[in-house]
This record gives sequence, C-alpha cells and structure tokens, in this order.
Amino acid sequence: MVDTEVWGQPTPSVLALERELARVRRERAAHAREHVATVARAAVLNIVVIARRQVHALRAAETVATLAMRHPSRAIVVLGDAREEGPPGISLHAQLPSGDRAELVYNERILVRARGPVEDRLASVVLPLLVPDLPLFLWWTETPDVDRPYVRDLLALAQRLIVDSADFARPERTLPRLATACVVDRRCALTDLNWARLTTWRELLVQFFDVPAWRQLLEDIEGVRVSFAVDADGREIHPSQALLLVGWLASRLGWRASDRISPSEAGGHLFDLARADGSRIPIRLRPRFERGLSEGDVSGIRIDARRDGRHTQFRIHRDGGRWCAAATVSVDDEIVSERIVPLPATDVVELLSEELTILASDRVFEEALALLVTLA
Amino acid sequence: MALATAANPLRAGLRLARVPEPSVLVIFGGTGDLTSRKLMPALYDLARQRLLPAAFAVVGIGRQQLSDAEYRTQLHDAVASHTRSRPIDEEVWRTFAERLFYVSVRTDEGYDELRTRLGRFDRDLGTGGGRLFYLATPPNAYAPIVRALGRHDLARNGTGWARIVVEKPFGRDRASAAALTGTLHEVFREEEIFRIDHYLGKETVQNLLVLRFANAIFEPVWSRQYVDHVQITVAESLGVDERAEYYDSAGAMRDVVQNHLLQLLTLVAMEPPVDFAAGAVRDEKVKVLRAVRPIGSEDVAANAVRGQYGHGFIEGANVPGYLEGTEVAPESRTETFVALRFFVDSWRWEGTPFYLRTGKRLPKRATEIAIQFRAVPHHLFATDAREGLEPNTLVVRIQPEEGISLKFGAKVPVQGIRIRSVAMDFVYGAAFLVDAPDAYETLILDALRGDGTLFTRQDEVEEQWRLVDPILEAWRTSGARPPQYAAGSWGPGEADALMARDGRRWRQP
Repeated sequence: MVDTEVWGQPTPSVLALERELARVRRERAAHAREHVATVARAAVLNIVVIARRQVHALRAAETVATLAMRHPSRAIVVLGDAREEGPPGISLHAQLPSGDRAELVYNERILVRARGPVEDRLASVVLPLLVPDLPLFLWWTETPDVDRPYVRDLLALAQRLIVDSADFARPERTLPRLATACVVDRRCALTDLNWARLTTWRELLVQFFDVPAWRQLLEDIEGVRVSFAVDADGREIHPSQALLLVGWLASRLGWRASDRISPSEAGGHLFDLARADGSRIPIRLRPRFERGLSEGDVSGIRIDARRDGRHTQFRIHRDGGRWCAAATVSVDDEIVSERIVPLPATDVVELLSEELTILASDRVFEEALALLVTLA
Repeated sequence: MALATAANPLRAGLRLARVPEPSVLVIFGGTGDLTSRKLMPALYDLARQRLLPAAFAVVGIGRQQLSDAEYRTQLHDAVASHTRSRPIDEEVWRTFAERLFYVSVRTDEGYDELRTRLGRFDRDLGTGGGRLFYLATPPNAYAPIVRALGRHDLARNGTGWARIVVEKPFGRDRASAAALTGTLHEVFREEEIFRIDHYLGKETVQNLLVLRFANAIFEPVWSRQYVDHVQITVAESLGVDERAEYYDSAGAMRDVVQNHLLQLLTLVAMEPPVDFAAGAVRDEKVKVLRAVRPIGSEDVAANAVRGQYGHGFIEGANVPGYLEGTEVAPESRTETFVALRFFVDSWRWEGTPFYLRTGKRLPKRATEIAIQFRAVPHHLFATDAREGLEPNTLVVRIQPEEGISLKFGAKVPVQGIRIRSVAMDFVYGAAFLVDAPDAYETLILDALRGDGTLFTRQDEVEEQWRLVDPILEAWRTSGARPPQYAAGSWGPGEADALMARDGRRWRQP
C-alpha cells in the first residue's frame, strides 16, 4: 500500500504526473498569496533515491525535503522489491510536501512504486521524470548490486552515486566492487557518507603534521590504532569508517598492502602495511563500546612514532557523551600539546548536504578506496 | 629529514579547510576594547571550528601588569559574552586559553621579554617562527610600536615570516597616510602589511565579486550602456556615544567614506582582475580608484553634501543631537552625514554617476549597493499600464540581512496589460543556512595565511585620500556650519537636492 497522504494520488502517466504537480503548485501559490508570501519553484539538481523498504524511502525523502532551501531539487524516490508478491507493475505518485520551510520553495517529491520483477524498466521511467539540464545524484539506501544490468543503467544516468557504507555487511569487499563499477568503468563519481563523516577526523590529523617538527615523524610511524564504536554486546561490527581512515592515511603516505586484511579477536582487524622500502607498519582496528556514538563511528586514533629514541604519540579521542574531541601530542608520555574542539554528531542531512555541493569525483577518496581494494 | 621542509603530504583534497601554518599572533592593545569585543571572540570561534593551527599561540601586549592567568580570566568573560556561539564551551576555551599569554610592554625591556618568550614558543610549542603582529591600539601608538619591533629584531627572525595588521584609520589625510606607510616600511615590506577594512571581510562584499565575475549574465550589462546610476548607502541608526572623542576629530568622511564607502565603490566599478590573487585584485582596485574624478574645491557645492544630526526620534526613542553629546566640542563642525556624487572617468563608466551616502542617526541600520538600470528605449505599454513599474534595480544588501535582490516588471495577471514591479530575492542566511563567519574571523585567518586580497594596499589608501582630501579642505576653509538634519531622517534636504538636480531620488533601503 502506498500512503497517499505522504506520496500523493497515483497518476497514470508521466504527463499526468506533471499536470498533477502543476495543479498542486497553483493551489499552494494561491494559499501562499493569502498569507502574503510567494513560493518559488527552484531546482538545482535531481536526486533519485533507491530504496527497497518503505521506511528507508520515507526517511530519505524527508532528508531531501529538509535540504529544500539549500539544495532545491526534484526528488524521485524509487521504492520496490523484486521479491514482492502480487501483480507486477509500476505506479507513479507526486506530491509537494509542506514542511516547516517548504513555504518558500517547492519541494517536488515523486514516488516510483515498483512491484515485482520490473527492475529493467526503471531507468526508462526515471529518465523522463528528470528536470532537464541538471545533474543527477543517485542515492542508494542499501547496497547496490553492481552485477545487475538495471543498476548499471541507473549509474549511467547519474553524475554521482551516494552510498552509506555504514550499513554494508562486508564493506572491505563491497566498497572496492562499487569503486570498480563507478570509477574504473567511468560511469559516475562515487561517494560514501561514511567518508564524509571522516572529514573532521582528517582535518585534525592533517593539522598535527602542519607542524614541521612533527611532520618529519611521518617517516617514523611504527603503528596506527583506530578504534570504532560497537553496540554494548559487540555484535554489530561495522569497520568501514575505520578502514577508510586507514586507507586514506596509507594512500597519502605511500604505504601499500603487505598482507590481506584479517579479522582479529573481538571483531577487530589486524594487518600490516608496508612502506616503499618494505618496512612494515602494524595497523590495528579495534571495536569498542562507546556511549553516545553510532555503531561504526570512529572513536579514536593513535599514531605512534619513534625517532632518536624519543617516542611521540599523536592521539585524537572522541568523547561521545560531550561531542568533542581531544587532540593531543605527547613525547615520552608527557603531553606537549592538547586541543579540545567540538566534534558534533553529523546527521545524514548535513552529510548529504555536503555531498550535494560536490559534483566532481573526489580523487582523495578514490585513492583511499584503491588502497582498500588491494587489502581485500 | 626532507619532510620537515616539504609540503604536508596529508593535506590534499577538496574537503579540507585551509588552515594557517604554525604561528604566533601578537596583539598590541591586548587589553583594549577591540581585542575583547572582536579579536578574541573571533579567535575563539576559529578554534572552535578547528581552523587554527595545532601549534599556535596568542600573546596580548598591554601596559598593565598582568599574569597570564589574570589575562585569561579577563578575556574569558569578554569571549563568553561576545562569541557568536554562546554559551562558551569551557573545555574548548580551556585548551584555547592555554595558548594565550600576556606580556607587559612599557619600555624596551618589555620588547626583550617578548622576544624571549616568542623564541620559547617556537621551541616548546612548535610555532615555527611565524609571527603576526596586530596593532589594535590607538593610532598614535602605531609608529613607536613599529619602530620598536624593528629595533628589537622582532620583525626579522631568520627562520619564519613576520606580518603586521594595521587597523584604520590609516592616517587622517594623504600626507599622514604616506607618513604612516613610511614608518611601516622602515621595518616591514609592503606585502607584509595588512591594512584591515573589516567591510571587506563580510561575505556579501566578497560575494559581489562572485556575482560579477562568476556569472555570465551580469557583466555584459555592467556598464554605462545599461546602468543609469549606482547608489551606495551605509546608514547607521546609532549616534556617536562611545566613540565621541575620536569621532569628533574624524567625522563621517574619515570614519566611513575614505575606507568602507570607497571600497564598495571600487568593487562595483573595477574591471575583472586576471585572477583572484591579491596582486591582480588590488591592481584593478587601484586602477579604478585612479579613474575616479576628484571633486575639486569649485565642484564641492554641486557634488558633496555634509550634515550634522540634531535631536530627533529613532525607533520611537527621543535622542539628543550631536552637539548635545558631552565629549563633543560645543561648536563642533564635524560632519555626521556625507552624500557625494562621483564620476568614474573610464571606458566602462563615462557619464554614469555613483551616489554615495553615509550617516549617523539615520532611520535604520542599512548598508546596500543599488545598481539602477536604464529604462527600456521605447515604451510599448500605455502610460497608465506602467504606473507600477519602477526601474530595474539590482540591490546587493550587506546589512542587516545579507542578500541580493533583482527588481523587474511583470504583468499583473488579469485581463489587459498592467505592470507591477516584483523583486526576486536571494537571502544569504536562508539559502545556505549557515552562520556567516564574522568579518574578523575571515580576515584574521587570511592574514595568518598571508593572503592579502581582502586588505588595503598602500597605493589604494593614497588614492582614497586623494578623493577625500579636497572635499574636507573645501569644507574646512568655507568656515560654514554643516546643515542640520533631524535624527531619524535620511539626512539634510541638500542630499535630496543633490539627486533631484539629476532627476533622480534616493532609495529607501
């Protein structure tokens, strides 16, 4: 069942859908005029959300609606599951949802409801619904199966594929496969909300090594430990953020894989990376229960370096309860620099908003991914 | 070892903010008003946004004897009430304050102590020899400080860089501005001098350059062929209460016209620079300032209006006149209002007037640039149909709500033709939903990074004074009192007459 309150009445064709949208727009404009306001129709991008479950579809549609003022867009939500029972088919619904800020800009929401094995037709429905001349962001709420032809068809329409590897069951395998399908085959740019979650971590790490005296220690790193949050029972293990952070560090510093990634006790990972001269750097990813953090979120990183007998430790630790991070440098266990900075939780709205500002491919991300490919 | 001098290999990619190199910021006037109301809150906000380098220190300089701890306590309260992210985060403040120091400087020994401590920071904190000196003192202290910095080898330390930030006023006429520059040049090279005009740190002012040079549709109409005239308004509803003593010796011309208003004119009128680097942008700014026709003493009456506010009402409150202020000389002829008509003698702007006005105790606080376009060459529509039609205007609002609006005529949707003006509004805050940074945050960061694009260069300052000096001189020699205007009005009637003579009128911002 489609909730027509949320998604609007079904319309028989794309043309009828556009007419319905125009009708609702007029209605809304008349209403706005009574309240001495004007509503603008604006769109700077198309966003196509692919969801298999109603709840994901709705959450995504609401996220896009929240961004209506910053990234006014036409949102096309494709909802369906090939395994669904009942007569197969596709129906279209259109709605201008009214939110708290939707009074100023129309936020067009279109639902493409697919039932049964109709996936191969999806691209042909999405294409005529796109606002012409505008980029298309494809937001896949689960794990896209790049071996399926319809997935490749949709990727070919898009400028950018947005995924969230936080929920990937085997991110160290899935991410590289996605990277190949998008980037290597040059279909579209790929991005991961989990990568965007790392921006602040990367910023803080980079700042340590802006200091020349500390920068030279990059050559003397003898170990990296990254911890990431798990639930209290330690069952939900999602190491993809931690992996991406290590992948980034390694790709920037010219380290390469020296052995395959292997699970260690308690759901962690333990492996070595190697410098150009072959010397090894042990990497340890540790799951830890941390109150207030979502599963998979990086909660800390520690980089140990030794030069001339002096042991320098660079450490960033996130305090889940207070949403701030302490960045400290200590030499032979004595703290020489300490900074506490806010590190607020990044909600999906913020992350998506950042992604929507970037159209080109993110080279640094792709290089970090490429390193993960060699580890898998 | 090579990595210590090479670029940071981690610093690549589009998402990372540009953070300054390790350095020390030394603020002269460390206990002053500007420091506690603007500079420290801006620095704290930068720290909060992770925009300060990991190796960084701030040293406040003052005449009082204070310990580092006392200084930190003093500034804590100032930052707590002036940061734009209230309430203050005590943990963030704590680690920020650990890098906050105070040195009392009265004599040469003070400078020696400063040098010793800076050396210690370089060693212990890794600040690497980078120094940014900030003159947040009254202008009469500038020269002695600069010379002392030179004498004590503080500006040349062999390893790092040294720069100096100078607050306005940059002199009080062309000669004193040149003298100030001369003093600065005894110790600093011109590219190490950052003259701050906080207007240039405002987002919309920078956006003006983006609007002009990143869009293809505006630049073709940005000339005498399509623009009827330009109006630039910097209106304040406040009086001169706190700064009366300074203001009475300066006046609106020196306080606002010489810097803010002429900067805005420059940005509207300049030619496209070859790139967005400091040199190219400032070259173009100087070029257009050179093209502005000075208002000579014989033209002052026709092109310049001054005024002084009398008593009146602002937002319903009864406010006293300028001369009733306690710190104002009873016979003061200081102008609190200026309106000017400038022409830019260039290929692009020949014959297009630029009207500038600024004043205290005007009805509201508003800063805007309005580009008014010419009417269509031939009117198709009957006179009564176009009664509601006003000229096309592009307004760049800077205060209070940053944004851009374009006014154009549209048909009223009924039968027959009736035209009404509608405005297409772009509101900065609504479109990006982020708090714009304070101008001081932007400018401190730029100075720490060594980017001088938004700072005023020596030749720019001198060109500004070249335009201002003859008008001030004509007013001074006339011996007349400035015309009075009621507080809460848009200035003296003479300002309206200045426009009316050209068949135009001021906008209501």
